Amino acid sequence: MLEYALIAGLLFGLYFSLIGLGLNLVFGVMRVVNLAHGDFLMLGGFAAYWLFTLRGVNPIFSIPIVFVAFALIGWPLYYLLVPRLQASKDPEMLSLILFFGLSQVIEACATIGFGTSEYSIPGDVLGSEPWHILNQTFPASWMVSGIASAVCIALVYLYLYRTRIGYVTRAVMSQRDEALSTGINVHAVSALAFGISLALAAVAGVLAPFMFGSIVPAMGVAVTITSFAVIVMGSLGQPLGTVLGGMVYGVALMFMQTYASSWANLLPYLVLILILLVRPTGLLGKRVRHA
Amino acid sequence: MKSRRLLPLPLVCLLASMLTPADAAETPKDIKIGTLYASSGPFAAISMPVYYGLKLWVEQKNEAGGVLVRPFNKKIPIKLIAYDDQSSTATATTLYNQLITQDKVDILVADSGSVLTSVGVPIARDHKMLLIDQTGTGATFFTKDNPYIVLISDPISSVWPKYVGDFLNTEGYQLGIRRVAILYATNDYTSTQANAVRKFLKDAGKLEIVYDNGVATNTSNYVVLLQNIRASNPDAVVHLGYPGNDIAFFRNVQESGIKFKWLFGIYPGLETELVERGVGPKALQYVYTYVTSSAISYKPNFGMTLAEFKAAWDKKYQGGHVEFGFNAVAGYTTGLVLDRALATTDNLDQLALRRAIFAQSGKLKTLDGDFELDETGAQTGEIQPLGQLVPDSKGGLRLNIVYPHDLADAKPAYPAP
Amino acid sequence: MGSGCGMRNGLRHLIFVLVPVVAAFAVLPWVYSNHLLLFNFVVFLVLAQGINVIYGFTGYLPFGYVGFFGAGAYGFSLLVLHMHAPPLLALVAGALAALILGIILTPLLRLEGAYFAIATLAASEVVAQIISNPNLTNVTQGPYGIRLSGVYAPRFAYSVAVVILALTLLMVVYLRNSRFGLALQAIRENPVSASMAGVDVVRGRTIAWLLSALIAGLIGAVYAWYISVFYPETVFDLGMSIFAIVFALFGGTATIVGPISGVAILYGIYNGIGIATPQYFQLIYGTLIMALVSFLPNGLLPLLKRWGINVP
Repeated sequence: MLEYALIAGLLFGLYFSLIGLGLNLVFGVMRVVNLAHGDFLMLGGFAAYWLFTLRGVNPIFSIPIVFVAFALIGWPLYYLLVPRLQASKDPEMLSLILFFGLSQVIEACATIGFGTSEYSIPGDVLGSEPWHILNQTFPASWMVSGIASAVCIALVYLYLYRTRIGYVTRAVMSQRDEALSTGINVHAVSALAFGISLALAAVAGVLAPFMFGSIVPAMGVAVTITSFAVIVMGSLGQPLGTVLGGMVYGVALMFMQTYASSWANLLPYLVLILILLVRPTGLLGKRVRHA
Repeated sequence: MKSRRLLPLPLVCLLASMLTPADAAETPKDIKIGTLYASSGPFAAISMPVYYGLKLWVEQKNEAGGVLVRPFNKKIPIKLIAYDDQSSTATATTLYNQLITQDKVDILVADSGSVLTSVGVPIARDHKMLLIDQTGTGATFFTKDNPYIVLISDPISSVWPKYVGDFLNTEGYQLGIRRVAILYATNDYTSTQANAVRKFLKDAGKLEIVYDNGVATNTSNYVVLLQNIRASNPDAVVHLGYPGNDIAFFRNVQESGIKFKWLFGIYPGLETELVERGVGPKALQYVYTYVTSSAISYKPNFGMTLAEFKAAWDKKYQGGHVEFGFNAVAGYTTGLVLDRALATTDNLDQLALRRAIFAQSGKLKTLDGDFELDETGAQTGEIQPLGQLVPDSKGGLRLNIVYPHDLADAKPAYPAP
Repeated sequence: MGSGCGMRNGLRHLIFVLVPVVAAFAVLPWVYSNHLLLFNFVVFLVLAQGINVIYGFTGYLPFGYVGFFGAGAYGFSLLVLHMHAPPLLALVAGALAALILGIILTPLLRLEGAYFAIATLAASEVVAQIISNPNLTNVTQGPYGIRLSGVYAPRFAYSVAVVILALTLLMVVYLRNSRFGLALQAIRENPVSASMAGVDVVRGRTIAWLLSALIAGLIGAVYAWYISVFYPETVFDLGMSIFAIVFALFGGTATIVGPISGVAILYGIYNGIGIATPQYFQLIYGTLIMALVSFLPNGLLPLLKRWGINVP
């Protein structure tokens, strides 16, 4: 059972890292908490479901489709919502509430459109034979999710560290005001980051029916909290941190499910508080406390 | 969402009322039945069919001029007032209050399921209204000191899994089953059933429970749990959860490539359409489940038979998104019981209605089975036999009844191939 | 900031705001028979004022505010279930439970802005998860929910709730008109200058935090008393925190009538829509929240100020 928990933990860890990555990007770049993050994930999941059911598109191919679609949605959404926010007295707090409102709107529309029962995609579209690793069998869909997540994470890394835009984005993440004064079009960079963040959430959503078992319109909030736990653990503004955070979280979750399953739901919240109290900068990060 | 039924023949009724003697002017112009339903959230899958079943009865009655109410000796149309609680207990609490204090309903019918019924129990009791409990089987509702509740369409949870326990202890034992694993969702309904199964097994003392675990009702990923269960090497696995749990569970079993020799779930029987849609027929092959009244044609002495009801349902709700299954039958059964009660009651007092309903116990047999109440209002009849889903020749599934023997039509296939 | 300190203003606020509101809710049950609805209004009035105390006066926004409410509800219920305590005593237990939780969570005040908000949310969920764990069923009834019998007294509970409302409003009147309240607002604006001006920042914040916890705990306990059947999700529902926050923000924080008008208007709309067309209310509500934040980020207050109305 131990090896199973470990390997499953790593697979889930990669997946959680993917989920957290988008949220990290947004918070790092614009200091805005996207409480609707989980809902975009949910929308990505439904997009994959409908693409599969209506057009027979294998979820693997849905991934790039969904990525582009949501990135395109994210760009104008940013301009609609965020600049006005940053002109107010307390943008961080208000962003919480604004995006919570957005989360409710998305959830309501999804409920009206899709109803409330759980939707799932048969696991065998990603491979009908379970994979065997070290004498343990895992559903094929988990392996595929793990691989897809790893690829996306690698791509984000390339974006941030190997492209010019990524370089500029990192500048904005570390010192927003200075970036403004050096003539960087902060809004454009932020809008791009926002679009990518939504796209990442949506890609995670495509994989969600396999990792979570099913998707429902109401799943958004819990996913958002979990992703927050992951990024806080990893520390903000550090994409690598999110990967570490995700892995730690995934393994911890699997161990809890194996050995103390009734307490497993407690984990994200407990982890979040402990990290914030003991090491709020996360496993590798900058200071966020103030007296 | 309000649901209104207008008088179909107002002129005739007006004339009729003019012709009847003066003191019949006290006759209410309609019988208000208040109920709740959940259009969204975790309980929607078991709530909407119940609501639609009840609505079907109401509309049928109103098409025939209303329901016969004995104290007024005439048919009175029914006005069904229904609100949406969206599976939220807080909302349900407010809405039960609304029905009683603002809408002043004559008959209060609970939403489906123990959770949404539970919040209505103290409210009904406080306002001295009889709570018509449709499918809420939590054993704590029924106490000797509260007369204001009666359970219509489901056997109380502590009795429900009787045939599962009996089978495992007798035939199962003969087939070689020795080790049993129990996995349940931690809520009133499924955990009470788990308690009952556990008790049935422990009392007989022949089988060993090698795994016994409760998980949160919102669990949707069973892969790790399945590994744990497999590690305990059971011969039989009993899974007790709501439809969401069952769907996730059976999918994960299939995806993990694990084969259990004997596997039981509640909703492959109670909501076959829904579960089959979610996991595909292949995942449900050789799974054991309850044979509900939507799969057995009991011979009722009142109301439509199963075939007639299904035909009426298809006609009325064809193309709708509400699944036909056991819960649809349950809603209709509520209507039938109210029908008999109103036709035999002394007056519209809540306790008089209660007496009228109790008078049906042991006498009424509907498409849902035998109607039997114990003294606290809990349903002890309508117990469901054990069945097994086997592949049929068309790539779908057929439900065989395997226990008890007087109802069985096939032998169980054990171990599952 | 405050529109003047002192006893005179305080007295005016008492007479023109506190008394009418409390009197209204004391009398309404005789006129309107859906008492549960009235009770819910009182609950939200209190919760919104609790948010007002912590956010309006110190700038900290506890997304997990409902944790104190739930702690109060469970504190009350456990004392009744296990010790058969009389309700008024159990009320004190509920308040104490919330207060203890507040004390335990005080270290969270060291965090800034969004971290604090999310951390309180996590804390509230931790408490909820611990309480609803099936292994603790013997103590807390786990996920099966609380069924209280023997203390069902909705009319008396309602009166107690109105009393708590009065006390809460009294406290807010005090804060609005006292030096302590001004000090708190100074902390909110700029903690560093406030401490340089001699304000004990940590002490002030902690007191405001504990006060708001106490308020929520008290009303949570009364809530448990009133409805007597509930599940962990009911009293630890994130939506309650959000509603309280939005109501407070809408009317305007650091004022007395702000949260009151927020509750009256928004919760009124919620109930109106919620009962008539529930499938749309979430949509309408979400849009309302977004519009509120986008166009009225500081609540109604600046609008009213611009029209020359001084808000108590």
